[in-house]
Amino acid sequence: MSRPKLLLIIWFISDLILFQVAFAFAYFLRVGFILSSDFPFNKFILITSAIAPLWLLVLSTTRTFSFTRSQQTIRNTAYIGYSVLVGVALFSLGYYFTYEAFFSRLLLVYAFAITAIGVLVWHILYSKIIRSALRSNPPSFPTLIIGLTRESKKLIETLNAKKNPLVPVAILDGRGTKEKEVDGVPVLGKLNKLEDVLEEKKITHLIQCSDLEQSINLLSACRSKSITYMLLPSVLGIVERDEKIDSLEGLPVTTVKPNKK
Amino acid sequence: MHAFILAGGFATRLWPITERRAKPLLPLAGQPLISHLIDRIPKNIPITVSTNEAFGEDFEQWNKNQNRDGIKIVVEKTANDDQKLGALGAVAQWIKQEDIQDDLLLLTGDNYIGFSVKDFLSHATPGVSLLATHDIGSKEQAKAFGTVILKEDGKRIAAFEEKPKEPKSTLVSTGCSLLSSEILPVLLEYAHEHPDNVGGIFEELLQRNIPIECYHFEEPWFDIGSFDAYLEATNKLVGDNLLIEPSSEIKNTDHNGAIVIGAKSTVAGSSLRNVVIFNECKIEDCVLENCVIDNNCTLKGVDLNKKMIREGTNLNQKL
Repeated sequence: MSRPKLLLIIWFISDLILFQVAFAFAYFLRVGFILSSDFPFNKFILITSAIAPLWLLVLSTTRTFSFTRSQQTIRNTAYIGYSVLVGVALFSLGYYFTYEAFFSRLLLVYAFAITAIGVLVWHILYSKIIRSALRSNPPSFPTLIIGLTRESKKLIETLNAKKNPLVPVAILDGRGTKEKEVDGVPVLGKLNKLEDVLEEKKITHLIQCSDLEQSINLLSACRSKSITYMLLPSVLGIVERDEKIDSLEGLPVTTVKPNKK
Repeated sequence: MHAFILAGGFATRLWPITERRAKPLLPLAGQPLISHLIDRIPKNIPITVSTNEAFGEDFEQWNKNQNRDGIKIVVEKTANDDQKLGALGAVAQWIKQEDIQDDLLLLTGDNYIGFSVKDFLSHATPGVSLLATHDIGSKEQAKAFGTVILKEDGKRIAAFEEKPKEPKSTLVSTGCSLLSSEILPVLLEYAHEHPDNVGGIFEELLQRNIPIECYHFEEPWFDIGSFDAYLEATNKLVGDNLLIEPSSEIKNTDHNGAIVIGAKSTVAGSSLRNVVIFNECKIEDCVLENCVIDNNCTLKGVDLNKKMIREGTNLNQKL
């Protein structure tokens, strides 16, 4: 099994366990560290276990399990909060419809808070483990940078500094720059070396940072080798960071909605 | 006399259509660019084509299909752009290895020349080198070439400047020259110091007061150095015509400008304007303008303008 798959499976399993442990902790915090006969723990944990996979499904739709996503962002915190809220709601419905019994509302507040904080902290810690494991030699996601611009240099430096799982291993520049390397990443020549570099470096991701006229050909090369293709919006002239991928009657569009001044 | 054709470049500016082929082997108006050149060289002149390891086999294969004997392929031991001997270095190495003592007809394999080499050679004065020049008509365009200033007699060259920042003339060198056997020692000496600078040899000869004459021609000439130049050459040579291989098919398609379709390709329900389609392509319901489509591409429902499409590309627009 590949490193990324193994790490992802461990992540899923650890989250499932964490969800149940967090709920159990909320139970004991609310009921006390006893086994209550009025509100039996076995019934409580049975419903929690049944709900946990559904909660995991909701969480996975937020793409929080993407290796390249930073866990320490407000957006990611909000996604985790939202999924835990759904998990708590599912638990309430599940418990009520199964046993036709109500229980402490404060327990739900505890469950929400403990689970959300627990999952966020675990994701931050685990993402550090993942990044370290995926970057160790040979890297799991060797990445080719196309185009040497100020922005691509910053991108390479940021990916390296933040220990992103995408490890830049080579740069090709259509204009034939004289620079030999950027942040330890070698410049291997012009686009005529694309095929060789894709093969030799076992590239899994390609980030296009310039040479807009070659997008079709770079995409074609990526498609034929199942390589993930990424494009910096600046290649299209979008430089203000106000773009998003949208849909117009089912057709994908890149939308730029300038902020009102 | 011996003809030597330089075909050792890697043509990075024409990526991706030169990704797997040398520039002189690019099809131009129905046949490889170098074949146009070969056709113009008198049959009694032996020809040597100098290329690199990456394309050596391709040139051998091309040579097998020529209706002409006396073409020899020599392969530089270079597999990529970083290891190149340099164009002049390759000439010098060959002169030394083969102990060449004859006059040398030096040609660049990525240039299309419209004149007859026989006519060019008939203008040569024995013992004097001769350079073919063309008036490019614009000093801005001349910056990319070697420019020539003539003496008052209109034949002898007074000055040669390789890629000048401020050209004094619009008369440019066209990659075709006759080097007298007497100047070969100078070439060997100069190539040792400047293996990359083919044009520089003419500056060197003039500095040593060795005369060079000029052959000025009006016929078409194209230096196929870029996508635009390749399309322009195709447009000029093909005109407003459709050039299609018998094994290919075009139906329900509007076309105008120069259209070239290689072998075993099909085009249906499309609109084409100035398009070159290589071999074994399938084009359906497309609008293509100023495009070059490499081998084995399948395009369906796409609109493209001014694009070179890489070999094996599959674009199927799902609307």
